[in-house]
Amino acid sequence: MANTLGRVVNFPVRATAARAGAAVSRAAADFNASVVRLTDEQAGVVDDWGRDPGLVRTIIRASRLRWDVTVGGDQRLPRRKGALIVVNARTRALAPIFSALALSEVVDRPVRFVGRPDTAPIGPFLRRIGGLLDHPDELAGALAGGQLVIMGAAHDERTRRVGRVDHALVGAALAAGVQVFPAATSSSPIGREARLEIGAASRSPRKRRGPLAELELADQVGVDIGLLLAEMGEIRTGTPLDWLPLSGIGGA
Amino acid sequence: MPLGSTAPAGDDESLAQAMPAPTRAAAEPINWRRVVLAFMVMGGKRVFVSGVGGELGTTIAGLLEAEDWVGELSGIDADPPRHRLHRTVFHRIHPDEHDRIVQTVASFNPHVLVHVGVWEPDARAAPEAAATLTDQAATSILGAAAECSALEHVVVRSGIEIYGRARGALTRPSESAPIAPTSEWGRTVAAIEHTAAKVGERVGVSVGAVRLAPVLGPHVPSPLGRLLRQPGVPFSVLADPPFAVIEDRDAARAIVSAARLGLAEPVNVVASGAITALQAARRGRRVPIPLVGPDWRIARGLSHLLGAPIPDHVSEALHRGRLADNGRMRELLGVTPDHGTIDVIDRLYHWPSIVHQPARIKVA
Repeated sequence: MANTLGRVVNFPVRATAARAGAAVSRAAADFNASVVRLTDEQAGVVDDWGRDPGLVRTIIRASRLRWDVTVGGDQRLPRRKGALIVVNARTRALAPIFSALALSEVVDRPVRFVGRPDTAPIGPFLRRIGGLLDHPDELAGALAGGQLVIMGAAHDERTRRVGRVDHALVGAALAAGVQVFPAATSSSPIGREARLEIGAASRSPRKRRGPLAELELADQVGVDIGLLLAEMGEIRTGTPLDWLPLSGIGGA
Repeated sequence: MPLGSTAPAGDDESLAQAMPAPTRAAAEPINWRRVVLAFMVMGGKRVFVSGVGGELGTTIAGLLEAEDWVGELSGIDADPPRHRLHRTVFHRIHPDEHDRIVQTVASFNPHVLVHVGVWEPDARAAPEAAATLTDQAATSILGAAAECSALEHVVVRSGIEIYGRARGALTRPSESAPIAPTSEWGRTVAAIEHTAAKVGERVGVSVGAVRLAPVLGPHVPSPLGRLLRQPGVPFSVLADPPFAVIEDRDAARAIVSAARLGLAEPVNVVASGAITALQAARRGRRVPIPLVGPDWRIARGLSHLLGAPIPDHVSEALHRGRLADNGRMRELLGVTPDHGTIDVIDRLYHWPSIVHQPARIKVA
């Protein structure tokens, strides 16, 4: 019944007004986007997306026990508008989550991440700390509302490789009219050191009018993250012996 | 029917027969106020409000009376208006009186129809009765409006329950999200939108749907409001999801704007911010009652006995949340809510309770 209703409810001028309306909406969102400071957020309430600032602050403090994240390139992000940041991810590394927590602390703005499940109790908990569903419309709504959102590429166990970047989610950023930033992450399964390096906004190699725009942009983001990973190197370089004073490495 | 009065317009024949015919002096002085009012009315549009007896409908009629563009104003409901209305002609007709509704609407021949004659389950009627009444009213009123040659625009009251909260449903759906209701109330408002859209398509008039968040206000019969005001408020310990609400006056302003501007598409009308049941209980200094799984069945039964039944759409909001994107409200309606969700909830707990006054003279 629900699906049938979804197909038949069609307002007379809805189709014609939709495109213009969306454009005006985006413009209004850009204009009205008032940046909420992490430090000003009230505890004991949730925001429009169900994120609980008090809980986020607690989780940020707790996350320092596990990760010591160094963030770079945050100056490239827009100060008021929304943006999509795509990071590389490995299984169980929780890269989008630690990146969102660390980045929100650095830029003093709420940063959300894509990829929460919709099953209790994990789904509601992740929503409380800024999780969004893995759905293009959900992402487009948040980006149009001036939010910074982090999404992960598909998991790849190789540290220098980037998994597939979901072009449907990148398409949501294009629809919302916001920039897409590649970001490289590295973390250790045993150590606390972690890094997040944000690159310059990715641009599609060609100007397209159709769906190829998002496909090519998604590919380009993957390439840009790969370059950032190559520049960043490993989280630990060399062996401990390399750092001994008499090893001859490092000018000693 | 003279202008400037709230009175039954001959809809109650027995009352009309019982009342003596008004006598008129031969040389009655000219009532300039009425003349000016009549002049203004002639220049305006005829607006018909269904459901004018409810708190929301009465507030809408009150706001429409103050609008320059509104000429004649008429309304229909099964119950009389909650406040005094000065210009609105009220017809008290039950939704099952199809012929009288059609005759009343057709003879008024409105330019604009504002359809807020809907019954939320467990607000003023039990779920089955509410669905029947809503369906009867929608069929009669929208059907009658389609016969009106002057009709230009229809505004219907809908709800954000229309999006449903199935697994994987968007957290904060915008107006373009798929319609997939998962509660009785959601299916009801979807059916109203569907009927209105079909009528609009058929007779070539624009149709706007105002999708309201749960409406709360001091006099609004709301199952969610009643539940939150109970001494103990149940919440889902595993999820405790956020929901948003809207105050009745903000909702009424949005509907009046939709009528004035000729809204021709759906719009979400939701107060900014969100709150969870646990947070609401804490703000209202109520006892939060954590519930998991089968406890809810017991809680629903107890709550029903205590006078605050929990219909499926409220239960859904407490388990799965109820948010919607209100980003297009300002753009489409030119208004923003005066009160955020937290404000509305705080005000909910500041409404005065029933004050029992002892009789001054004891008669027994």
